[in-house]
Amino acid sequence: MAFSWKTAGITYLKYTQICARAVRNALKEEQRLIAQKRDEQGIKYAKWENGKQGELKPIVPQQHS
Amino acid sequence: MNFLFRTVRTASAAFRIKACTSVRYYANEAPAGLSDRLRLSFALPHQTIYANAEVQQVNIASTAGDMGILANHVPSIEQLKPGIVEILENPTTIKRYFASGGFAMINPNSSLDINAIEAFPLEDFSLEAIRTNLAEAQRIASTASTEEEKAEARIEVEVYEALQSALSK
Repeated sequence: MAFSWKTAGITYLKYTQICARAVRNALKEEQRLIAQKRDEQGIKYAKWENGKQGELKPIVPQQHS
Repeated sequence: MNFLFRTVRTASAAFRIKACTSVRYYANEAPAGLSDRLRLSFALPHQTIYANAEVQQVNIASTAGDMGILANHVPSIEQLKPGIVEILENPTTIKRYFASGGFAMINPNSSLDINAIEAFPLEDFSLEAIRTNLAEAQRIASTASTEEEKAEARIEVEVYEALQSALSK
């Protein structure tokens, strides 16, 4: 049972992510609101050209298949 | 041919003797003269809980089973299950954290590094939230349409069950 998620194609990183999310959701209201801000993380990037910042674009995470 | 066979035999006998001398024994056989205190570093991506602090013993839930770590433990790397990390700072002060999973590295110099994604003191958890989330995860585990959704829900069920048993102790 311990590693049954591996056969379903879930990677270790995804597994720890699910565990961490479950732990955050089990907290008392006060701590949960602080912790849940860590759940969503994103990256934005911009290309700099001639000393000027280009358009700021968010990187959309690829859907895990 | 016979000669060749003999050389191989001698070589393998020599190897066996060499292998025997490098066998490793239990932790109490480790070289003396090291510190008799365990030094613990317990870190999360967003917080340091212990930074090279001297403690007496640490109990972890590894995927290979529950284990207690004292000073001069055999070096090892253990994967943590979602479960309790129990820190005996001294015989009277015991701190219990629930960690979501990570790794514990037991180093040869009596230092222990634990990394986890999330870890909270047990009193930060709400039994009510655990119960509702567990019921929801169990429902998804049995009704979800794809195998991946089911697997995700089963992981959550495992985490909430571990939390429940941790809080009931």
